[in-house]
Amino acid sequence: MKSKLIEKEDRIRPDGLSKVTGSLQYLTDLTFPDMLYGKVLRSKYPHAKILSINTEKAEAIPGVEAVLTYKDVPGMNRFGIIIPDQPVFCEDRVRYIGDAIAAVAAQSFEIAEEALKHIEVVYEELQILDSPDKSLRPNAIRLHPAGNICHRSSYQNGDVQQAFEECVAIVEETYELPRQLHAYMETEGGVVVPEENGGITVYAATQHGFKDRFQISRILGIPESMIRIVSNPIGGSFGGKDEQNIQPYASLLALATKRPVKIHNTRQESIRASIKRHPMKITVKTGTDSTGKILAHQVKIIADKGAYTTLGPAVLDFSVEHAAGPYIIPNIETEGISVYTNNGVSGEFRGFGGNQITFALEGQMDRLAEVLKIDPIEIRRKNLRTTTDLGPLGHRIAPTDGASLVLEKVQKLSKQLKKDYKDSLWKRYGTGIAITMHGGGLGFGRLDSAGGRISLNKQGEIEISFGFEECGQGLLSVIENLVIEEIGCSQQDVKIVIGDTSVVPISGSSTASRGTSIVWQSLQKMKGPFKEKLCKYVSDATSICKEELYLGPYGIWKVGKEDGPFMTYKECAEGIVDQTVLTSFHFPVTPDAVNGGHFLYTFGGVKVDVEVDLLSGKVKVLSIDHVISAGPIVSPKGYIGQIEGGGVMSLGYTLLEDMKMINGQYATTNFDSYLIPNIVDVPFDTNVFAIEDLVEGDSYGPRGVGEIGTIAIIPAVVKAVHDAIGCWVSKLPISSEEILENIESKGMLTWI
Amino acid sequence: MDINNTVLHNGLTIKDKQTINLNLMINGEKYILKTSPTEKLVNILRDQLQLVGTKISCGIGRCGACSVLLDGDLVNACLVMAYQVNGKSITTIEGIGGVSIDEVQEAFLLEGGFQCGYCTSGMIVAVKYLLSMCPNPTEADIKEALSGNLCRCTGYGGIIRAVQRLANANNYSKDID
Repeated sequence: MKSKLIEKEDRIRPDGLSKVTGSLQYLTDLTFPDMLYGKVLRSKYPHAKILSINTEKAEAIPGVEAVLTYKDVPGMNRFGIIIPDQPVFCEDRVRYIGDAIAAVAAQSFEIAEEALKHIEVVYEELQILDSPDKSLRPNAIRLHPAGNICHRSSYQNGDVQQAFEECVAIVEETYELPRQLHAYMETEGGVVVPEENGGITVYAATQHGFKDRFQISRILGIPESMIRIVSNPIGGSFGGKDEQNIQPYASLLALATKRPVKIHNTRQESIRASIKRHPMKITVKTGTDSTGKILAHQVKIIADKGAYTTLGPAVLDFSVEHAAGPYIIPNIETEGISVYTNNGVSGEFRGFGGNQITFALEGQMDRLAEVLKIDPIEIRRKNLRTTTDLGPLGHRIAPTDGASLVLEKVQKLSKQLKKDYKDSLWKRYGTGIAITMHGGGLGFGRLDSAGGRISLNKQGEIEISFGFEECGQGLLSVIENLVIEEIGCSQQDVKIVIGDTSVVPISGSSTASRGTSIVWQSLQKMKGPFKEKLCKYVSDATSICKEELYLGPYGIWKVGKEDGPFMTYKECAEGIVDQTVLTSFHFPVTPDAVNGGHFLYTFGGVKVDVEVDLLSGKVKVLSIDHVISAGPIVSPKGYIGQIEGGGVMSLGYTLLEDMKMINGQYATTNFDSYLIPNIVDVPFDTNVFAIEDLVEGDSYGPRGVGEIGTIAIIPAVVKAVHDAIGCWVSKLPISSEEILENIESKGMLTWI
Repeated sequence: MDINNTVLHNGLTIKDKQTINLNLMINGEKYILKTSPTEKLVNILRDQLQLVGTKISCGIGRCGACSVLLDGDLVNACLVMAYQVNGKSITTIEGIGGVSIDEVQEAFLLEGGFQCGYCTSGMIVAVKYLLSMCPNPTEADIKEALSGNLCRCTGYGGIIRAVQRLANANNYSKDID
């Protein structure tokens, strides 16, 4: 497996040494003196009334220090980033098996777990709505006061019905996508420590420290100023730790016992309560003229929301927005509906609804190409957006030629199978491509605050601070590399401060591929004033003209004096008083008032080769080539890692992963039956090709690449399977049984 | 309620848990511990000894985050119980490398063999074991040796490059010998 990226200066990531030596303390590794251990009682049923809760027996167990229920929540007994509709503790009804009913703090995890068994909850089971279909029936029981529809989203342009009449080729298909587990290796957990002022410090992973502070403040009924959130390092998140998980329980228990309380979910507990990727059913009808130009595209999306809202509406909006992807379609009608069920809560997950909708869109392109007998590249080119076309919701976006650059590169890669694989009696080979377009940032109409701070601290370090978290994605490297590049200092001069609400500025969430953009844009705004402040200080102190001074490694340099800094940062720090620059701005957003519309987009293309085993129906991916257009690379290893890692995560979604639920219960509870890709599933022949050029005049800099690698691989694999054995898969993960049925029905298997 | 009569799911009671004296070597240091004979090794390491470099992720031997060497063999510390390690020698991530870092750790740094780092301790221990058995592993050797260690971040690319870097180096040093 080799990197095709051009050689760039590359540094060891700032957290690297502590990670490879195992010395990094994750928040779930922390212990404090006098610490207690917490456990949360989750619902026994997917849907039931709670008739009574009796905690007396649990409280009587020696070693149990507190047992809390809804009665013990001083503030609002709800959480949820958009709409707080998820009970911290259920009062009279449970809506999914992850619903919390009580929490225990005890001397040990074992005692806490034992205590849970002695909490007596009397339920009256209710009808289980385990699919959107059931929830949408007119007589279905209401899961929430306003009914069972969480959110509707739509977009329309032109007249699809009329346009279909003019179409020469029409393809209609329903695509079904499963629920996916984030499967971060570190399960949710951390410690909440009560502070002397009556407040708390929360040491627990999240992707937006200030949002956690806000939500926890609402639950505890204490001001945000009394809550400090230490939110990283994080052992993986991928969107999954964005919403509240254990924080409310550890916080309430810590305040109740006045002692530090640790909660660390087991994998089973994690799977039971955590959010997942939305299962979606997407029905699409697409029509073209005889040349392959799309005239009409009609899309219906049904998302299984599960029991509570979290970021579900935004995910659906994103799917609706990306229904046309990078294609210009004159007549389009997209309708999305997100439906509450008694299944596990669906929420934010890397790709954010783009993965599902792109599978459907690219599936349509390939099916139409087959019907029209056009090359899959050609049909895409015919419909592809150009540099200044409007965005997919008819809104203005930053000009970009990423779509055509990616398609061109993919075309060069896609001529044939990479190796001379020969079909054999029991093996067939195929190749497939797909492309995608993906919005970064939260979109129009959403509070998308960005910002940062740079300062020369007392130790003479250039301290750069953002309200972001290091989840593993490599944000620390991005910050370090950009500071060195923009300020001109050395690696040793940089001190990075993130992941602690008591010391960081507001930067918004570490989500939506927005971090890299914001770090770069913040530095563009801050570097001038910061350099000015330092040079002015040196100039005032030494009467050397400011224009002759500049920031360099280890200090402020003077033009013409090349043997070292004129004044070191440390010397400068001893006297300087005005040494801090702050910036705060809104993430770049489209000027057009379209809900959720994005402004900055990245593009991705994938070419894969696969082998289909005719005896087992197994699909093996032999090679993956990624093509990415996301602006200049900031951190080469981080960039490759995001694309390769994102690709493999979606390889899992395509071939292996389905967090199946039966009657509202998870059918799998751990990695023994929920299989994520291991090293055997991954082709060593994986390459990342980066297109770094942005259009002339682009002033938005490098874009984040956290999500773009997860999208196009899904339809590319499915097309490659079609290329190999001639069958279209429309339901993921690709089922061996379905493949075998196809092989049999086509009579492809020749028995000797 | 009398806690002594409380039977835990693992068949032991809370207070009158049977304990054993455990003698073991961890990263070259001798330890004598009092513990339940069925306590998991991963809990002994993390909770009793604060050796938290060894991680816990699935708890059922499927992810390899808790990989350690037990008398030189690669094991999942979540599947090994206290009584099984009495008198034995264990190497955790904290025992890999010494004054300077080990070549495997260095290769992971140079090739981007990690992101969040949570699988990394176990992965590095597993790579150490692979290279001790097979200094110049083929693709098939690498797949076989690391198939028990899950990584959700990297897609294994950086890990593969790290191992191949070491394999090539070993190959090279063999050539010049």
